[in-house]
Amino acid sequence: MTVTASATTTATATATVISVRKTRRRDRPPSRIRQSIGERIAPYFYIAPFFVIFAVFGLFPLVFTFYVALFDWNPIGEQTFVGLANFERLFQDPRFWNAFVNTFGIFLLSTIPQLALALGLAHLLNQATLKWANFFRMTLLVPYITSVAATALVFAQIFDRNFGLINWVLNIFGIPDVNFLSSQVGSWVVISSMVMWRWFGYNTLLYLAGLQALPREMYEAASVDGASGWQQFIHLTIPSLRPIIIFTVIMSTIGGLQIFTEPLLVAPESGLTCGGGRQCQTLALFLYEQGFGQFEFGYGSAIGVALFVIVVVVSLINFYLTTRTRKAR
Amino acid sequence: MNRRKLALPIAALGALALLVSGCSGGSGSGSEAGDPNAEFEFWSFTGIGQKDSVDRYLEKNPDAKVKLSEVGSTTETATALTAALAGGRVPDLVMIQNDDLPKFVENPGNFIDLRTLGGDDIGDGYLDWAIDGATAEDGSIIGIPTDVGGLAFAYRADLFEKAGLPTDPAEVAKMWSTWDDFIAMGERYTEATGEPFVDNVETSVFFSTVNQVSQKYYTPEGDLIYDTNPEVEEAFDVAVRAYQAGLSADIPAWSSGWAPGKANGAFAVTTAPSWILSGLKNDAPDTEGKWRIASIPGVGGNWGGSVIAIPARAENKEAAWQYIETMLSPEGQTEHFATTGTFPAAEAALESDEVKSYTDPFYGDSPIGQIMSESVLNFQSFYNGPDTSAIGAALLNALVDMQAGNVAPEDAWQRGLDSAKAALGG
Repeated sequence: MTVTASATTTATATATVISVRKTRRRDRPPSRIRQSIGERIAPYFYIAPFFVIFAVFGLFPLVFTFYVALFDWNPIGEQTFVGLANFERLFQDPRFWNAFVNTFGIFLLSTIPQLALALGLAHLLNQATLKWANFFRMTLLVPYITSVAATALVFAQIFDRNFGLINWVLNIFGIPDVNFLSSQVGSWVVISSMVMWRWFGYNTLLYLAGLQALPREMYEAASVDGASGWQQFIHLTIPSLRPIIIFTVIMSTIGGLQIFTEPLLVAPESGLTCGGGRQCQTLALFLYEQGFGQFEFGYGSAIGVALFVIVVVVSLINFYLTTRTRKAR
Repeated sequence: MNRRKLALPIAALGALALLVSGCSGGSGSGSEAGDPNAEFEFWSFTGIGQKDSVDRYLEKNPDAKVKLSEVGSTTETATALTAALAGGRVPDLVMIQNDDLPKFVENPGNFIDLRTLGGDDIGDGYLDWAIDGATAEDGSIIGIPTDVGGLAFAYRADLFEKAGLPTDPAEVAKMWSTWDDFIAMGERYTEATGEPFVDNVETSVFFSTVNQVSQKYYTPEGDLIYDTNPEVEEAFDVAVRAYQAGLSADIPAWSSGWAPGKANGAFAVTTAPSWILSGLKNDAPDTEGKWRIASIPGVGGNWGGSVIAIPARAENKEAAWQYIETMLSPEGQTEHFATTGTFPAAEAALESDEVKSYTDPFYGDSPIGQIMSESVLNFQSFYNGPDTSAIGAALLNALVDMQAGNVAPEDAWQRGLDSAKAALGG
């Protein structure tokens, strides 16, 4: 009995609420706007976590870096405003230009052959006649999931002057020991091969994913028309993959210009300079050396700002060049 | 509309402000009097055996509570400390390597003047130069030396014998008593065997010679003299001459070829500060009994060492201080040496029988304790400034570059000066 009673109460209560609402509605203009304000605000809360975190860990450090770059900033001592003096010093600093050249050397030496090889291999892996295709595709990711530190250690051993694998092979052919890490180009080769080893499979898979989306009939039609494999590659594969190629080029640019771990670990004995002559010190490593090795936060930040500008400019150039090919076509 | 657009960034900035202020206001709750047995946090670097020290401390003080964090390498620990001092939560006790010390000594306000806890005679029992390194301009002592890097050379007795050189540590030390003798001896070795004599000249020669000066890169008043000080140029020149004599195997310390080089006899001599002795054993276990330890040419030497300090914002100063008093006393340092081999910085410990009589069968029972304690007791003090390690690195790198064939020996000194100048801001 009690149950029925309470049910009735609830029903009455609901009725009251409804009637209240009704009266309110009648009193006021239709509240569509108010409702929709809630609806309009809600999505901002859903996306807020990313943007709040980005603001704290991405945007703020970026802006703060620009600010710190204007100071002679000792993190545990005094901070004095010096205006653009850090930048003036930067442009006259041979170590900066050395790091600049190294960064581009390593970047070009690793990115161009890497993307070309990845594209070719993706094309091969996409052939319908290939057996064990999935196995090969899986293996491509192994270098990517190997830790950079382990990779660097192994490569440093392989390229070691006295006891390395490469020199051992060269010696068999009567070629004397090559001291890879002591020369500029030699150390670029070592680091570039590490970068290639790590990212080659990743880019191949990106290209492969793009190729898989292409209709097989297109290639069949091309074959029927008598196009060779090479012609198919040049005239079908590359143009169809352009969006993905642009993406990989931009990503490689950003990653390649900020390369840090490989040069840090390949010559650990020389600390943050990557060799006695700074022969493989990149901009990111130079930044770290100044900021966290010498505690010159102001100068380090100036390098950071310069690096930021360089990455943006190069990315824009890349974007321009890769999109322009379409118009030319 | 405008206001709403602004809301999000403002909220984000507010959160940031909270974060920043929350970070920098760490000093609040610690009580100044403090409980000597309160739990304190201790940052040490890896590979220095502080776990042993903490364990022994807890045996002596069962009521004490220690949270030991091995932060990373010496440099990583200094970096973490910098970040903490700049606005994070600081540890109560922290180890700082001597190379990183000048930057912290330059801003003594970040640390407790240990004289306030231990009295004005707090530094008396330690090696003068070790305590000088931790003393700020205003006289405050911010760190107590935990160990020093007593310097000696390790050499391969079997290879020396083949080359017709003496093998007994005392005879060897006598034969290379000056650096010129050392080079002459190396030439004899190279002639007899066709192999290089030392692993490299930058750490094995330059590190030793440049620390045997009366003034290094600074005057005692703190003025830079690295480019005009003839003692520094002479030290550098010894390394260049050793290279020109064909003594160097050009295998940098800690490079990938170093450990195999020690195992394979790619060189016969390498520097051996006390803390490297156990590393050499690990790198070349099969050479047991073939190595000997002898004092280096010239007078005394040191490479490395560290101090322990209490940040000014530490919450449990008393507890941290109790640890320093107990473990860094001469007895504490002697005990620590016995268990881990880190070489004491307290004079009484250096004079103790335990230290002086120390030998090791791996090194053919060479009188290691005797040699190393003499080395650090004879070591002279000089002033290290904030850029000492940056200048040192620039000169060292020039030597590395010279051995790699990238710069001619006669240009190496100028190359070193140029990059030191760049490091100092042009």
